[in-house]
Amino acid sequence: MQKIGIFDSGVETPEEIIMAAGLVPFRLFGDPTIEPEKANEHIPPTHCIWTRNLLEQAILGLDEDIVGIVSSHGCDRTNREFDIWLECLDYKFMYFLNAPRKRDDLALKFFLDDLNEFKDQLQETFKVEISDSKLEKAIQKMNKVRALLREISEFRSKYLIKGSEFHALVKKAQQLPKNEVLDLLSTRLNELKKAQNSLRDGMKPILLTGSDIDDSEFLVLLEKLGFHVIIDDLGVGTKYFWDSVNENEMPLEAIAKYHLEKPIHSTKFPSYERFEVLERLAKKYEVSGVINVAQKFCEPVLYDHPYLKKKFKELDIPYLFVEMTYNRESYSQLSTRFSAFAEMI
Amino acid sequence: MATTEKTTKPQHNKMLNATQGLKNIMGRHFLAIEQAYRDGKPTAWATSGSPVEMLYAMDVQPMLPENSATVSAAQKYSKNFIEIAEAEGFSYDLCSYFKTNVGAVLSNAGMTEGGTRKPTFMLSTDVICDTHVNWFQVQAERFGVPHYSIDVPHVVSNTSNRQYNYFKKYITEQLYEFINFMQEVTGHEYEEEKARKVTENSWNLSEEWKRIYELRKNVPCPISTRDTFGGLFPLFCMPGLKAPIKLYKRMYREAKERVDKGIGALKEEKYRLLFEGIPFWYALKYFSTLEKYGAIIVYEPYTYAFSKYMNPKVTKEMVLSKPIEAMSELMLSFWYIYDLKTRIKKFAETVKDWKIDGVLMHENLSCRPNSCGLYDLKRHLYDDFDIPSLIITADMNDPRKFNETQVTNQIESFIEILEQRRKS
Repeated sequence: MQKIGIFDSGVETPEEIIMAAGLVPFRLFGDPTIEPEKANEHIPPTHCIWTRNLLEQAILGLDEDIVGIVSSHGCDRTNREFDIWLECLDYKFMYFLNAPRKRDDLALKFFLDDLNEFKDQLQETFKVEISDSKLEKAIQKMNKVRALLREISEFRSKYLIKGSEFHALVKKAQQLPKNEVLDLLSTRLNELKKAQNSLRDGMKPILLTGSDIDDSEFLVLLEKLGFHVIIDDLGVGTKYFWDSVNENEMPLEAIAKYHLEKPIHSTKFPSYERFEVLERLAKKYEVSGVINVAQKFCEPVLYDHPYLKKKFKELDIPYLFVEMTYNRESYSQLSTRFSAFAEMI
Repeated sequence: MATTEKTTKPQHNKMLNATQGLKNIMGRHFLAIEQAYRDGKPTAWATSGSPVEMLYAMDVQPMLPENSATVSAAQKYSKNFIEIAEAEGFSYDLCSYFKTNVGAVLSNAGMTEGGTRKPTFMLSTDVICDTHVNWFQVQAERFGVPHYSIDVPHVVSNTSNRQYNYFKKYITEQLYEFINFMQEVTGHEYEEEKARKVTENSWNLSEEWKRIYELRKNVPCPISTRDTFGGLFPLFCMPGLKAPIKLYKRMYREAKERVDKGIGALKEEKYRLLFEGIPFWYALKYFSTLEKYGAIIVYEPYTYAFSKYMNPKVTKEMVLSKPIEAMSELMLSFWYIYDLKTRIKKFAETVKDWKIDGVLMHENLSCRPNSCGLYDLKRHLYDDFDIPSLIITADMNDPRKFNETQVTNQIESFIEILEQRRKS
């Protein structure tokens, strides 16, 4: 089955349009076990380590079913590096989606223009028709995926599913064909409904935020150190299933609204509004602390950190900020800081 | 004539006499800011690349914190300010202009140290970088002032005309919204006639700067970075005013005189270089050390980019009749943010037209948008056009990230390469 690779530092790529074209949306994730040697020939080593990691994989060869790439605007890296992807790769479909930075009515109109263009280019390249009825079906399917993930997510607060397992499920939901995803999630949800063994065992509930962490092993490390990611505001997390697309509106408009109305990422403006969501989540899930992780050189998160630190201090909620290099060795180097934080909360 | 020659006798390895007038022009800018505060006139911070003309048109006094940050660096204050910002939690890896500004504000620095006062509102745009938007978000929150940000879609190497048109529409709509925002915040009305006059001055300023640049095509080159790095600032801060136009005219006349007499900015010009990126503002004298190799920088995309009106589709008639639409077009086609394909093409053309022997590229640790693509640019220039380049890693405002010995060694090796190429 043909797939469209998604390079997205948030989750603002409209998977429904790809699905309506008869293609499988396949979000690209980093591989923390490799070094970006070839990517470093194109991008300076002082630039976002995660995007260099993706380029490295792309140069070495992505999943063989991938027939095109869509890169959605997140930070400076995405648009500047897209040109380098064009240099290095030879796919028949390469689209840069200008997901707007702002969230107002003008941004919505603009996003709708760009979604229409994205749809048109998919139709032209793959000789398919993306009708409203196909889009509506794709929206319904994606909404089912979102609803299931929302339901499963709540089992985190009942300590019946580990944060790391849930994280891995969200990753699968962003890569597998959605019918498989629905089967997988339904099965797991039924199991969880019957589950009784609490995983609490002294684990400290935390809210995880920051750059879009895509390595489930990082959450495993946190669990080993006594943390339970009870909630998050990540793209591989709640941002992916926060709400549903309105099924009673014109499909493209509904998709555009969905993306502009969900919680804001640090790459968008005004990113300080991210705190409002974090505060709500921290209170609702009664977290013991907040961990904010910036991938090395992740500028948007680095800019927001002092503000978040100040605001969480005002709320008297313990807050830990770490900068992390994208490889597993560096995780263990952070263990001491995490352990100290665990002791403190 | 003889008297004129005596007083303006061209001298090598010195800036133009006219460029000395820059101090007065910038002094006027700073005085205008002081006066605005005394008169209770609205003021605004603006990021570079934003339509400063619109502020002048609405009788709002602009202040450009980037410009102030370079003042801090030149006065050797930037390191201290940067460290103050880092103590507040801003990472070592973030933009040094931004951190200089944060430190300057927290230190309550005066304008001569690069300080910038609390404005009535802030105007940012991501046309150049995300940092601009994040920077003003941080400072608008600190001061408690309104902040308008213009979202500029990104043109990439395969952007189509169809896309370009709705990108432009989105910017235009925001610019009209920005006018409403200003009217609400300041109580000032938008007057088309005033906007037209400001735009005309901005256009004329740009034309003069481009004329100066044209003279740099001459061998020997009459102007060095002694004139252009500083000479750039009116384009940032004063587009729309008349005074800097006169300054540029004087610079042009003096440079033309050098050209007519076959006199270069260097006594003996051997190598003509292009410098890509933002200079090291804390070590501007370093650029003069190139002279000992007989090397002169004859083109900087950074200083040329801010002449703004480079898109041939944007004519004077369009600028005067539809200033807002023209501004949208210009924001999309700004030299400093060219997509990689256009960037390579533009570099190749520039190298040919300005008779350049080699390219120095500043991999600026503070400006990732500009650094991104340099490696591919370098490769293409060499493979496709036989143009050698050298990449130097440093920072525009943070002296801690400038290793002078290392950079000097790199430059010496590069000059040797240029010499060998000439021999062969």
